[in-house]
Amino acid sequence: MAMTKSHRRRVTTVVRYVVLSVWALIAFFPIYWIISTSFKLDTQWFAWPPYYFPSPPTLANYMNVWFGAEEYAQTQYAISSQKPLISLYNSTVIAVTSTFLSVLFGSMIAYGVSRYRILSEARMFQLLMLRMIPPIVVVAPLSLYYTAIGLIDTRFGLILVYFLTTLPYAVWMTKSFIDEVPLEVEQAAEILGASRWRTVFEIVLPLVCSGLVATFLFILILTWSEYLLALIITKTQVTTLPIELSKYQGSTEGRVYGRQAALAVGITVPLMIVGLIIRKHLARGFSFGMVRR
Amino acid sequence: MARIELCNLEKSFGAVKAVKDLSFTIEDGEFVVFVGPSGCGKTTTLRMIAGFEDPTSGEIRIDGRVVNDLEPRDRGLGMVFQSHALFPHKNVAQNIEFGLRMKNVPPEERVKRVREVAEMVRIGHLLEKMPSQCSGGESQRVALARTLVTNPSTFLLDEPLSSLDAKLRRELRAECDRLHQALKRTFIYVTHDQEEAMTLADRIVVMRLGEIVQIGSPMEIYSNPVNYFVADFFGSPSMNLVAGEIAQESSASRFRSARFEVALPEHFRTAKPGAVTLGIRPEHVIVTRDGNGDVELPVRLVEPLGKDTLLYFDTGTERAFIAVTEGLDMADIKVGERIALSLDQRRIYLFDDKGLRIGNAK
Repeated sequence: MAMTKSHRRRVTTVVRYVVLSVWALIAFFPIYWIISTSFKLDTQWFAWPPYYFPSPPTLANYMNVWFGAEEYAQTQYAISSQKPLISLYNSTVIAVTSTFLSVLFGSMIAYGVSRYRILSEARMFQLLMLRMIPPIVVVAPLSLYYTAIGLIDTRFGLILVYFLTTLPYAVWMTKSFIDEVPLEVEQAAEILGASRWRTVFEIVLPLVCSGLVATFLFILILTWSEYLLALIITKTQVTTLPIELSKYQGSTEGRVYGRQAALAVGITVPLMIVGLIIRKHLARGFSFGMVRR
Repeated sequence: MARIELCNLEKSFGAVKAVKDLSFTIEDGEFVVFVGPSGCGKTTTLRMIAGFEDPTSGEIRIDGRVVNDLEPRDRGLGMVFQSHALFPHKNVAQNIEFGLRMKNVPPEERVKRVREVAEMVRIGHLLEKMPSQCSGGESQRVALARTLVTNPSTFLLDEPLSSLDAKLRRELRAECDRLHQALKRTFIYVTHDQEEAMTLADRIVVMRLGEIVQIGSPMEIYSNPVNYFVADFFGSPSMNLVAGEIAQESSASRFRSARFEVALPEHFRTAKPGAVTLGIRPEHVIVTRDGNGDVELPVRLVEPLGKDTLLYFDTGTERAFIAVTEGLDMADIKVGERIALSLDQRRIYLFDDKGLRIGNAK
């Protein structure tokens, strides 16, 4: 029996939705599992059959992990020397500062490239190639250098290395936004009497603002969740949240899933809040083309 | 007041010479139109005057003062761009006000002047709108107002109407003309549209391949083109150009081509025999239906336009030979019909094999 055209279209739609739903389920299940586990009692972490919902939900993991409140834990674990709040502070200072510097200098370089061709196309690609070097290759020599000049285990040390490693992204992303601003718009401002700086601040910056915000979030996610460099070039003084997360595995207790999940949720939430605050810019920034020629 | 002198101006982009040894003076209050096909160097010249491009060599003087090293904002010029170049994040009023703010004009004065120029170019009702809400024609008026408000000595207009439709173009062309009359400022206008050049200019500068080909009033350019290029570029429909040769006979000189032979007027008597191109404007081709004429050609296409009718004749080449006849009397001519034509002897042009004009048709 031949299918009509509309019938076939309906079948295609159904198939498409089924595939996408399955995919969404696979993608979101771990996230759901983390959130769910973070509210579970110790006994439910490994239970079989598994508890899909925490019953009853408890805040014990959060209180224990974030505030060191031992009385909430049913079981005492050996890992009590953690300082997630200090790590949160470190992560915030390091990620925000390095991201800010990266976007600030990245956009300045991008402006120079876009308008004054300060870097040739080949140089721009070389800049991006820097990102192709596997971090594992540089991390050992870097830690030697850092030890020698006293930057090991310091916030500044991490800020510096994050700033430099994310700079190529910042240049490439912001350049694409600056390229979108027609040169004639800037020249119109210039011939109307605006200085170069005034043109940049009054004309270019507002037009690329959404793009800068999108770049900022992209790099913030990178630096916020960076693990390898932080692991090697920090020791005990300056730990960041991803390092903290890895510590929730005791030699005698195995993985402390509930605590780890509570920490993981705590690490993710700030990024989501930032994302929500700037969502208007993100939609525009990632869709490009806001400047109508 | 602004008298602009261009002295031996040159501009190269790498190995490409965009403008070659250009010297020309634009008088104060004059409306000068640079015209030519794309890539002829007209926009580069304008951008050098504006200060957006540095000349490779040569000087630009405004009122006698060399301005080569002056920033665009210090040259006292106003510019309207092809793309309008409005600030997309500012509303119309803020766009117009921008130049005044840069000159630190007090706020009350700014509001007053913005209103004045907005009325002048008839966009008073648009002040609160964003550029994205304006149509092409409105955007161009805003761009014009934004330039007007700063009261520049010279207006530079870079193909300002090329992105608009035909009706709007005519409308805004008239607007430009009106502004020039009212303001009595120097206008330098760049276009590739010969019709705009003809209707607006006091003087036309025809450019080609980075060089000036001819300078003159629209009438001079139209009726006295110095070469094949200018003759072909100006006029709509453009001049009929037929390749052939001159044959000197005892009584007179004659022009011969594949399907075409006409006697040439007396002043071509001395022209050397050889390959030439004959030119005649479509309005100087006389069509008669009684069979009396210099040549008889088959009709390829009839275009009744209302006021006129265009007749396209076949001369055996790709390019049709066009005649303009008044009214619709000839509109019933059938394609393929052979019609007799004669050429207005006083209006025949001849160009040699290098494209240069031969003799003088006056």
